Amino acid sequence: MPDGLFIFFAALTIGAAALLVLSRNAVTSAMGMILALVGVAADFFLLDAYFLGVLQVLVYAGAVMVLFLFIIMLLSDTEENPTTYPWRHALTGLAVFFFLAAGVLWLFVWSGAVPSNQVQFTPPEVSSDPLVFTTAAKSFGRLLYTKYLLPLEISGFLLLVALVGVVSISKDSKIQN
Amino acid sequence: MEHTTLSHHLLLAGMLFVIGLTGVLIRRNLLVVYMCLELMLTASTLALVAFSRFNNTMDGAIFVFFIITVAAAEVAVGLALIVALFRQRQTVSSEKLTTLCD
Amino acid sequence: MNSVSLLHWILFLPLGAAAFSALFLRRQGTLAAWFSTLTAFIIAGLALTILTQTSEDIKWHYELGKIGGISLGFGYLIDAHARLMLFVVSFVAAWIHLFSVGYMKEDEARGRFFAGLSIFMFSILGIVVADNLLMTFIFWELVGFSSYMLIAHYFDTDFAAEASKKAFITNRIGDLGFILGIALCLKLYGTLDFAELKLQAGSAVPIALGLLLMCGFLGKSAQFPLHVWLTDAMAGPTPVSALIHAATMVAAGVYFMARISFLLAPEVLQWMAISGAGMAALAGLCALAQTDIKKSLAYSTLAHLGIMGCAIGLGHPELAVLHMAMHAFFKATLFLGAGSVIRGCHHEQDMLKMGGLLKKMPITAATFIAATLSNCAVPFFAGWYSKDAIIEAAWHDGHFFIFGLLALAAVATCLYSGRMIRLVFMGAPNSKAATHAHESPWTMTLPISVLGIVYAIGAGFAANILIPHSSLQVVEKSLNEMAFHLTAPATIVGAGALILGFLSFKFYGWFAGQDSLQKISPRTYHILEYRWMDTFYNWYIDKVQRRFAEFIVFLDLLVINGLAVRWTVGGTFAALGHISNAIFHRGQTRLNAIWITLGSLLFIWFLVR
Repeated sequence: MPDGLFIFFAALTIGAAALLVLSRNAVTSAMGMILALVGVAADFFLLDAYFLGVLQVLVYAGAVMVLFLFIIMLLSDTEENPTTYPWRHALTGLAVFFFLAAGVLWLFVWSGAVPSNQVQFTPPEVSSDPLVFTTAAKSFGRLLYTKYLLPLEISGFLLLVALVGVVSISKDSKIQN
Repeated sequence: MEHTTLSHHLLLAGMLFVIGLTGVLIRRNLLVVYMCLELMLTASTLALVAFSRFNNTMDGAIFVFFIITVAAAEVAVGLALIVALFRQRQTVSSEKLTTLCD
Repeated sequence: MNSVSLLHWILFLPLGAAAFSALFLRRQGTLAAWFSTLTAFIIAGLALTILTQTSEDIKWHYELGKIGGISLGFGYLIDAHARLMLFVVSFVAAWIHLFSVGYMKEDEARGRFFAGLSIFMFSILGIVVADNLLMTFIFWELVGFSSYMLIAHYFDTDFAAEASKKAFITNRIGDLGFILGIALCLKLYGTLDFAELKLQAGSAVPIALGLLLMCGFLGKSAQFPLHVWLTDAMAGPTPVSALIHAATMVAAGVYFMARISFLLAPEVLQWMAISGAGMAALAGLCALAQTDIKKSLAYSTLAHLGIMGCAIGLGHPELAVLHMAMHAFFKATLFLGAGSVIRGCHHEQDMLKMGGLLKKMPITAATFIAATLSNCAVPFFAGWYSKDAIIEAAWHDGHFFIFGLLALAAVATCLYSGRMIRLVFMGAPNSKAATHAHESPWTMTLPISVLGIVYAIGAGFAANILIPHSSLQVVEKSLNEMAFHLTAPATIVGAGALILGFLSFKFYGWFAGQDSLQKISPRTYHILEYRWMDTFYNWYIDKVQRRFAEFIVFLDLLVINGLAVRWTVGGTFAALGHISNAIFHRGQTRLNAIWITLGSLLFIWFLVR
């Protein structure tokens, strides 16, 4: 039996995700999304990945979701009309959900594919071996600038490209009508 | 904390993933669909962190770092595309965007 | 700074300028114009340094890589010809840039225009300095591209779009031969380097090699039978016509032929001499039947290119390069003068509607007339030194038929020149636009004056210093001596032509606002005006090539598509295609997502099975 904090946050995350999927109002969906992301961040903390948890809250629940909310408010056509909703779609969705949920449960709980006798350890704060899991943000920095230097630079370049791309896409072009 | 195992975290990640996928399938509003996609991505990062933690290696965590970076860029571009689409067609409903079919 | 790094600057400065203008100055037309002009003048200064400060050949080579044992290189080879060409191109271009600043003042797309001029500079200078065939070819294509782009500057008019397309396609036909020639050269000698080729090519060069390499020259220099694009290319802005389609690009073909003249077999040279001289005479006569001032000048350019081709054919590439240099100066002046006139008359290009501009535009008129005199080879004007030398060479070497054709060309030149001066500048204005004509601003008159007065006249005297003295041996006397060689047949021809030119000047004054030749003999006028080769090409494409293509399409539809594909395997896949269209391609994102999910599940099942 897992401990209470995990159960609480897992329930919160699942509930918020359900809110995201089921709410008819896009703003409510976004709120559910924020809550779900915070729940995931809490789970990161439970996994001793403090830096990633902070990052998750800052980047995802903070910046990205604010962007989403802005766009939702910018576009007026965000309310879905329930009367025209094809319930056939909901049925296929539900079928897929139950089928896949059953698959996930089977895979992670009963199939034995995941070793349950995983060794629990207390991660060190800092380690001399850079590849060992630690709780310090310092070890991220060390890896990013040694083993993962090239991916770091590529992702930086990717950000730049995305920046330029967004500017050129959202520019009001003259050709339009 | 003592009794939380890898499979618990993976179960949470898997369920989040499936919920997100269901959202992608049943929702019509492109913005919500996009949020559901992000939820799926987050679910996969959760799985990666769990693996990283239980295998005592830093690689998975670093990977999550990159995923967050790329996802941020991707969200910006995707939202810009949706806005551009809205400007052209005055709608963000995936049902009304069926030009490929015609 | 040593000469090689000077060359780096000369070659890559315009590329940088083009990139900068294209990326950052698209909206700032004025800034782009002055920026481009400034770089053009810097390049001209550097080229002058190269011309005056260095005397021996400059060689520099950098190997980019080897493919299949063939070395691909980037390098410079600056000999006497290249040095002269470098100077001519960069100097004419610099002044034409300045002219364009005034000429294109009201144009919206100046940024694009000047970026185009800069990229053209880069390409033409690349041809000039190139030390191997492949590099020449690459820059050759770049020149073709920039020419295409600049002809199509007014791309929203049908005519310019068509003309640019025509120029591009015609050049492609020539370039196909060129690249085949490069391949043949590689097969025969295993190298593309000019210096190595010169060592390896003996006396017995295959005719095919020369013919194939000549194809590129035929296209780029608008020689018969690929000359049809040049007159249409006048659809571009006038500075472009002056720079590309009169002074430099079309002359690049001549320069290239002079550079590889050791690869041309005697039979090829023979053909070049005869076709060049023939075209010179015919194009000169055709210029008589054009009312558009720019088209008339285009025919004049064709005639001079013919003369240059003929000089190469006669075995005197030095004279061809010399004439190219002189021609660049006076023809650029003529075109710029025409541009100034066109602008002064509010974009009227019809010569019959001009007249009396001598008083209205005195600077333009004076320079235009000076350049015309040079064009007619009046003694001590630039054209006289080179053109009469070529005619003299034809006589001296005993090619009397070619000498006759060249004499006819000289006469024709004087005839259309007299007509042009009479129609444009003399008499009374024949239209409202000409009545209200006005002189152009200084940015336009200064380049015309410099090019016209200083170069068109002074270049002749400078020719003594500029040209390699080996070229003088062909006429067995120095240019100075030749200048006073009054008994030479060339001089007699020249004098006769000048007298006829003066008569032509008088003749065209008979009927105001009308063409005298057309009035007296409409049939002759029509024969000269009619575009024979265009008609022939249209006939060929419509009646021969198209029918052949239709036949091939028929075969394709019947045999390959019908029998081989549709009736056998096609049936199965067509059915599958219909099913997949019905199921997968509904254009609904949701449906696509479902299929993606199912596909991924299938994939996972394969993995964990």
